[in-house]
Amino acid sequence: MIDFPKTLHQLHFFQEDGVPYAADLDKARVVELSAAMLDILRLAETQTDDAIIETLSASYEADDISEAFERFAELEKEGLLFNRGEDLQRSLETESKWRKLLVVIPGIDVDSFFDIETLSAGTNMALAHMIQHLTQYADLHFTGSRNRKIADGVYEVDIGIEDLVRLRSKIAETYYGILTLHQEHERWLLPLYRYPEFPPILVQNHAPRGHGGHAINSMLRHYAAMRDYDGFTAPSDYVRDFYSQYVWDPSFFNTLPNGVDATLFKPMEKMVAKKEIAAEVGDERIEEVPTVGYLSRVQSEKGASVYLKLAELNPDLIFLIAGPNLGRYASRKLPDNLVYIGFHPRERLPLIYNAFDVYCFMSMSGEETFGLTVLEAMACGVPPVVSNFDGVPSVVADAGLVADAENFDRDIATLVSYPCPVDFSEKINMLLNNTEMWQILSQAARNRAVSFTWDKTANRIVRIFEELHRKKKLVNPNRLLNVFAPTQPVEREAEQGLKYRSLVLSMNERYERCLMRDSVYPLSVEDGVALSILKNHTTREAETILADLVADETEARATLKRVRGLIDGTA
Amino acid sequence: MVSRTHYQLKQHHKFEQDDQKYVADLETGDIVEINDVEWEILSRYASQTRHQIVEGLKEEHKLTSIFDGIERLERLGQQGILLSPIVEAAELMTSDRKPKLLVPFHFTKEKSALDYLTNVNRYQFLTHLAEFAELETLAFPEEKKENVQDFDKVQVRNIEDSKNSALVSPWYALDGYDGILLLSQFTTDDLLYYGVPDVPIVHCIEGAQQLQHVLLKTLLTLGAFQSSKDTLVVKASWMKAWLAELGVPVENVQVIPDGIDVVEPINDKALAKQHTAAIFDKPMFTKQPVVGLISGFEPNRGVAWISEFARANPHLAIFVYDAMLVGVRSPNPYHPPENVVIFSADDDETRAILPVFFQALDLVCFPAMPGTPLSVVLEAMASGVSCVAMTKYEIPPEVVGAGIAVEADWDNFGNFHVSMAKLSETINKWLQPSDARAQCEDFAKEVAQRYTRKNAAQTLIHVFEEGFQRRTSDFRTARALFPPIFCRRYEPDTGTLRSSVYRLGTNRYDSLEDALAEVLAEGHTPAEVASVFKHFQRKHSTPVCEITRAGNGFPDNNKETNPAG
Repeated sequence: MIDFPKTLHQLHFFQEDGVPYAADLDKARVVELSAAMLDILRLAETQTDDAIIETLSASYEADDISEAFERFAELEKEGLLFNRGEDLQRSLETESKWRKLLVVIPGIDVDSFFDIETLSAGTNMALAHMIQHLTQYADLHFTGSRNRKIADGVYEVDIGIEDLVRLRSKIAETYYGILTLHQEHERWLLPLYRYPEFPPILVQNHAPRGHGGHAINSMLRHYAAMRDYDGFTAPSDYVRDFYSQYVWDPSFFNTLPNGVDATLFKPMEKMVAKKEIAAEVGDERIEEVPTVGYLSRVQSEKGASVYLKLAELNPDLIFLIAGPNLGRYASRKLPDNLVYIGFHPRERLPLIYNAFDVYCFMSMSGEETFGLTVLEAMACGVPPVVSNFDGVPSVVADAGLVADAENFDRDIATLVSYPCPVDFSEKINMLLNNTEMWQILSQAARNRAVSFTWDKTANRIVRIFEELHRKKKLVNPNRLLNVFAPTQPVEREAEQGLKYRSLVLSMNERYERCLMRDSVYPLSVEDGVALSILKNHTTREAETILADLVADETEARATLKRVRGLIDGTA
Repeated sequence: MVSRTHYQLKQHHKFEQDDQKYVADLETGDIVEINDVEWEILSRYASQTRHQIVEGLKEEHKLTSIFDGIERLERLGQQGILLSPIVEAAELMTSDRKPKLLVPFHFTKEKSALDYLTNVNRYQFLTHLAEFAELETLAFPEEKKENVQDFDKVQVRNIEDSKNSALVSPWYALDGYDGILLLSQFTTDDLLYYGVPDVPIVHCIEGAQQLQHVLLKTLLTLGAFQSSKDTLVVKASWMKAWLAELGVPVENVQVIPDGIDVVEPINDKALAKQHTAAIFDKPMFTKQPVVGLISGFEPNRGVAWISEFARANPHLAIFVYDAMLVGVRSPNPYHPPENVVIFSADDDETRAILPVFFQALDLVCFPAMPGTPLSVVLEAMASGVSCVAMTKYEIPPEVVGAGIAVEADWDNFGNFHVSMAKLSETINKWLQPSDARAQCEDFAKEVAQRYTRKNAAQTLIHVFEEGFQRRTSDFRTARALFPPIFCRRYEPDTGTLRSSVYRLGTNRYDSLEDALAEVLAEGHTPAEVASVFKHFQRKHSTPVCEITRAGNGFPDNNKETNPAG
């Protein structure tokens, strides 16, 4: 049984060669029906299973009706014909703002974005904050398997990943943009770029490298496949610049800094915080001795080994570690001045940060792009000492101290840098021994942190989409026609045999005269290759090919610029 | 250049709901929203050509909307939705009517640029062709009337439709023609016609007395524009041999010599010699053996060579036919040696007298090189004159049995080399009466009479028919099952980037060269793709012909539209 009555999708019934069909306009799919199925659908919204069976029993055999019910059950499972979940039509009509974004983040439960306690990774937490604030600027529709309202302006819609291509026209009509998260192993996104109908796609990028080069390679694939009006976000200028060294067009990377909830993360009476933590872990030294804090997973990549060294180098200070567990370090004999203070729910984190006199961030990971905990510590007025690598120093700016690090020329087994324990030690002591400096940096840290708001982040996303729409308007199709031809060299070069060139016609694919006179114009083979490639491939793909074929990168870039100019100028 | 992919409409259903138009593909189950123009296009797509669709809708819709609509539907076809690619069934050109050929031609411009004899040959050719084909040319409002209307065998189609002013002349070639005959030697005027898919193009190229590399450049360019349905027609076998020697594919090169006019011979060589002697005021024509030299030399080199030849053979009376060294169009200060006269037919009067000179010849000699007019050689031979061919290939098939060959060499920059001693020896020996020469002279008459204008016209029609058959292979049906994304690849162990290609579907990196060849083959002929790889001195492992002719590689629709796949 299928549990009628049910709300039907927008359907159109028709017959072709005597076969009845239902065109499911919500799913852009045609479903072949039996006569019994057609009659059942006519009753589906008003009658129960039993009533339908009774009504149709005079016209159909019981088996036919039963078979129809079974088929409907299959179709419902596929998301066809019947509305799954709530009937959102009214909500969307009355509540929706004019801009809707389709949010596609497979693999992460949408509800978790509205229950931050369930998230552990900083990336997902940042995403959750951003999403919550984004609702102030746009309706968010998360792809899923049912229709339901999650919060004001936030919906799950019955659009699966597998539906996206088929529904591209509808998506283009409905959504201002598609927001998604770069996940290096996903494969559903690359094919989407091939369809010009989709609205701009903005891919949030968090990890610039690591994973044995997989992250960079995934980014490079997306960069190549993206349409001119898609883009990435990068959490800091550093990350944007990092990516830019691998590509010719850095405009695809848009800096989108994270924010911090400055009402939650704020300075409090430090001694009160220390006292509470000291009581909790039963170590009174926390109240009496200056503290250095670490809040992260206790792993090599996060600099845990270096932090231990730091503790050994500074026996007069207390080093506090907050994290899910001590991991492999639990089996070690830890320095006496290293105190594990446990894992704490999010609402307790301000207290933890406030118990630190200095916040220490020494991640060595290639995935470190921003350092959200640094910003949270700063919002609590705790001056940070951070490693001089990747994006974190740009977050701290002059509101903390930056310690030396040995940065590697390339990743090695996910590590990219080795923080200098001695310099860290010196910077920490400098800060703790100079009250005036500490106070100035504490205030500066707070001041700087409050300038990073999630509202700004959310607003920036909308601005980026607006920019992508502007870029979309500038896109021109390439309808030029060209050939490659051998040509006879001049006499003095005759020994070298035939040379080659390309010729572009003054007539385009639509028989329009796009250049003066009925003629052809000679181009270099390099220009011709770029022109041919740009028919069905992106400028970034042409970049890849020219980078390979043309030894001189300056000339290769000039070729691409020239050919793009020809296409745009003759459009 | 290759033709666009052609599609046929699949089983579908169009419908409207809530003021929105839709079409459902009953094979794939896809439903596509369409606009008014696309609705109309779909109604016509099964029965009309692209040209007919545009012409039929242009009164109601903007041209760009119509083209946009067709392109969108065909883009869906690429994805396997609504349309499926077709290999158009080979069909014969309709036999119940004359084929209709478009002859785009700037008659006045061409007439003034070419020599008299070439113009006569062309006129005669079209006259005879009109017996077998309906010939039509296009006249645009902006053109001068005389450009198109001085030849009554070619109908003139006046294009005065302002709606289509944005479209260039090849657009009209889509309108029901069985073929396009290109005669212009100003090749850039005609290259745009190669953008027309499906219609066989025959491009006739004259040999020209110029530096051969200029002509070669033209021929190489034409070759690049051709697809398998198209044919390059040259007027002599040595033109084809020359292209083959240069490594140019000659599958689509046909040799169709111009037909000749065979006049009734006076059958009195002595009388012909007397006339010749009188006309040129050169008694040597009655006293010395008369050798004709049909020149194809570049003029500057020709002057030097003719002088050398004449000095080496002072006992011969030499009649040179050279359109560049004499004539009103190109007065030349060349004063040849005493035993040489130079002549060319520049008008009806001089044309009429030419057979007399040919009948005075004891032998005709010619360099088998691109500038030499074969039709003049054949006309000379038609009066029973055997030939000596100076050739770097075999004896030209056109004169086999009617003469002998002397080994020669020439390059593309006008230089011509033959052993003057050997040539003189051969000519002098051949001038001695012999059975062999007599046989050749008899055969010369037969050989020459094979090359009639009617035969040339019929052969050309046959070439069109063959092109029409071959056009099926131009329909591109193969597309990569797993489309390539050209992207850089980061090598973590070295920290460097290299260009690569990533395949959707297999989700693997692949050979850049192979993918590049595959992508280029979507819009270019195998020869063009080969040009690109030769230029970059790169190789790819998959033969281009396999890439382009890989059969219907269209993906299964469901797989294609399932991005999660």
